Amino acid sequence: MKRQASALRNLRQKCGGSYTSDDDLPEVKLLPSPLMGVPFIQSRLRPPKSQKGMYYSTDWEKSALVSNFQKRGWQQVPSFNGEWNFYWASTQNCRYIFGIDHPYRMRSDQVINHFPNSVELSRKDLLIKNIKRYRKDLERRGDPLAQTHSPDTELGIGGTRYMHLDIIPMTFVLPSDYLLFVEAFHRNPASTWIVKPCGKSQGVGIYLVNKLSKLKKFAYDARTFFPPINRDTYVISKYIDNPLLIGGKKFDLRLFVLVTTFNPLKAYLYNEGFCRFCTEKYDQTEIDNVFMHLTNVSIQKTNQEYNSTHGGKWPLQNLWLYLDSMRGEGVSEMLWTRIIETIRHSLDAVAPVMANDRHCFEVYGYDIIIDNNLKPWLIECNTSPSLHSTTTNDRMLKSRLIDNVLDVVVPPKSLPDEHWDKTPDPELLKNFTVLKPISVSSPPTEVPIRRKVRSTKKRKTKCTAISPTAVNISVPPPAEGEPKIRKSTKERR
Amino acid sequence: MEELQDASIHHMTAKVIAAIKNTKSYEPIYKELQKLVCSPSVDTHDMRNTLEDAIRSAGLETEIRNIVYNLVRSRLARPDDKRLTSKQSAKPTVSDPLGYLKRAGVLWDRRVRKSLNAMCTELKVPLHGQPRISADREDFMAKWNELSNYNMDLANYRPVYAPKDLLEVLLSLKGPAKTTENTDQIPQWEFSHIALPVKNLFELRAHYADLLRNDGYLGVPDLTVQCQRILEGRHAPMCQQFLKKGCTPAPYRGALWASVLDSKLHDYDIDYWQKLRNAVWTTDHIVDKLVFKDIQLTASNDDQYFVFEDVLYQVLLCFSRDTDIGGCVEYEAFPVKGKTYEGPPSGVVPFHGICMFAAPFCYLYDSPVNLYYTFRAFYIRYCHRLTTINTHPQGIVSLCLLFEKLLQTYEPQLWSHFRELQIQPLRVVFKWLMRAFSGHLPPDQLLVLWDLILGFDSLEILPLFAIIILSFRKESIMQVASLDSIEAILADLSSIKVLPLVQLALSRD
Repeated sequence: MKRQASALRNLRQKCGGSYTSDDDLPEVKLLPSPLMGVPFIQSRLRPPKSQKGMYYSTDWEKSALVSNFQKRGWQQVPSFNGEWNFYWASTQNCRYIFGIDHPYRMRSDQVINHFPNSVELSRKDLLIKNIKRYRKDLERRGDPLAQTHSPDTELGIGGTRYMHLDIIPMTFVLPSDYLLFVEAFHRNPASTWIVKPCGKSQGVGIYLVNKLSKLKKFAYDARTFFPPINRDTYVISKYIDNPLLIGGKKFDLRLFVLVTTFNPLKAYLYNEGFCRFCTEKYDQTEIDNVFMHLTNVSIQKTNQEYNSTHGGKWPLQNLWLYLDSMRGEGVSEMLWTRIIETIRHSLDAVAPVMANDRHCFEVYGYDIIIDNNLKPWLIECNTSPSLHSTTTNDRMLKSRLIDNVLDVVVPPKSLPDEHWDKTPDPELLKNFTVLKPISVSSPPTEVPIRRKVRSTKKRKTKCTAISPTAVNISVPPPAEGEPKIRKSTKERR
Repeated sequence: MEELQDASIHHMTAKVIAAIKNTKSYEPIYKELQKLVCSPSVDTHDMRNTLEDAIRSAGLETEIRNIVYNLVRSRLARPDDKRLTSKQSAKPTVSDPLGYLKRAGVLWDRRVRKSLNAMCTELKVPLHGQPRISADREDFMAKWNELSNYNMDLANYRPVYAPKDLLEVLLSLKGPAKTTENTDQIPQWEFSHIALPVKNLFELRAHYADLLRNDGYLGVPDLTVQCQRILEGRHAPMCQQFLKKGCTPAPYRGALWASVLDSKLHDYDIDYWQKLRNAVWTTDHIVDKLVFKDIQLTASNDDQYFVFEDVLYQVLLCFSRDTDIGGCVEYEAFPVKGKTYEGPPSGVVPFHGICMFAAPFCYLYDSPVNLYYTFRAFYIRYCHRLTTINTHPQGIVSLCLLFEKLLQTYEPQLWSHFRELQIQPLRVVFKWLMRAFSGHLPPDQLLVLWDLILGFDSLEILPLFAIIILSFRKESIMQVASLDSIEAILADLSSIKVLPLVQLALSRD
């Protein structure tokens, strides 16, 4: 309970007014105002009088969702009186539901599609903070994952020398880290950087800079002793200026990841996804042309060259075929493994601070860019990936995705139950790849201890054996029911 | 007996030698040979043996073998036909049962070209092209690598013909001597009155027997290692044999196809490509507009191939200027009265969807030159037969006939269902056949299908595969009653896997 409260306090602080929902048109039905004043909210909501099958509510009337609900014979109910068992909510409405001001405690037969504080993953400044903390933790514990290259190797785009944890380009939060950024900028004088507002989405407010003079307002804020409190924060990252180009155009990958619980971390990566192509050929020197640099569909749509038949979306399977044919044997497999590791690291990084409410699951939309050396970089993570379909293939893909998600999240033929241990039947996983904990194949004595100790046998069939007993590390093994990491963060707090 | 064999081998050898001397690769090889002769490893006293050894060790042997193989395959395989055609051109063949078909082929060709000429006169553009004005030329050259940005006003241009036009002509082909028969029993739209020889399922099974052969007794073969060894050997028939398996690893497919289609790049090939490119830059031809229009209508809108549209522009523009193609492609010969019309330099009038033949190659080759030569060889060998009316056993007419016969024999329920609905089954599958499934199957499966085409050197897999799909979706088709619903059922082929389905179809009795 205490854990829950602290996470929600973070939620209130950080979620002031902005929401990150990617590409979705703002046609959300907000919960009507009766919710605010009705007294019965104070207590637990009554379950529906006669439960006949699953009831669902949804804030998004998208065919990918509704067709799957109806296929299963679920019945739609309005969301505000809480009769639902399954609620596909918008982040705004989730805030009401999780908010302390409106204690809305979910029944044990209800699931909702967001975690209370998933902003830790979706807001760019929180994500980078979590990743940096995760790296420091691993380093402090001497975990082989935190291995670095030798000091005389050149720093790459990630700005660090980590061998395995180099998943995100060098990033600073503005205006607070402005001076650190300036140092890094001077060390790489010919570099390009990309500025993104923390709380926005759909490519709004993003621009590229290669001169310090473009960042005057942040310089001002950094000098001011008391910066204005409500100023939006931004992040500035090193721009990946050597992306993998196909047909001369830049693209990024949109991948879908389902997380059913953060503790223990159970995450699944959907095997299908798509590449989003820019409409103009890439030119490193033209930094003002958003059409060749930003792959967001909402931006590319505005270009005259945009083709709405295919929408610039290329199925992931074609990318694998292309890479295998052009770059040789096993290239696409290697890249897929790297992508899996990148995503898993990001989830491991936020797992300690996520409020692991058992009523929650979440489908994230991960944006990943591949550079010319076939290294994937995490660009951002969206908590409400667009389920809007621009093409037929798109609609079918999203429909299959939701179908698979529902199979995994809700135990078959029964109502949701918060006491279920969320271990789906392996057959139901179908098109999902399980994101297994990453173990580095280093000398066998150093086994990372923070990995899950108890995981169900079914999922372990293909895992490499992970020994739970620590050998070299002088830290007590995790107690039953309490993962080790959570303890350490509590100590620091 | 042996003397006869020797004589025929001798005869064949003489022909092959004569043909080799005409190929472009003759000179470089001859020069290599001369260099070898001067090398110290060749002994003038024992010239024959040492020269042979030297040839083998220099790797020239495989090259020469490949050349012989390709020549025999393409030009000298049917010496009897050559004699026949010369006889035929001497007298108009009233007695030839296929005369009307050949006539239809020539007429179709003429009609297409006439249409092109009409478009030229309508738009007041000379058929032979005109030089580009220098501003246009510079713009074109600058945008050569991103032709999707080159703006052209294409509103007045339409594709010359589309698959459905060819289908209408094919369906209206009438044989000469059938009018006396009772027309109630024979519906007007069947192909079976065309007396072309096609294989039945038994013969097809024999032809495709290698697909079903299981090499498992040697242990699980490591395909990558096999591929590498085969490619090192560079022997074309071996590459072709490997493609028959239908499970080519993606990285090696490009090299294997190039070997089978004999499109290895020599210096003179690269020079020729540049010459074609310069021709495109300096002359403006009406086919350019047609190519642009076609790509904009098909490949640019296709969500599997839109990424490659710039390369496709380059390849198809050069294709339309390549005069060699006219010489390599076989046309029907039949004396027909009337005016002959000229076509574009390549002899091929682009139709709606021609770029889809080239699109799958974009997954195999990065550089346009490689792509171009392999695509050109593929087009000459196979695709051309799909676009003209001819009597070749693998021409589109034979394929349609094969399709109908197989459907009638092995899927009688579907056949009668189509009869009841008064829909020609060909209408549903013709677009698949004419484009060799390009644009309908997902790229990875399409490439497997084309592997099989190359491996077995036959387009008959296309109607066979069409039947397989229809039979796979039989229940859904039986339940609907209109052409539109049938097309809707067959619209999405993304879940079809080529190899297991073909193996299943050929192995069941």
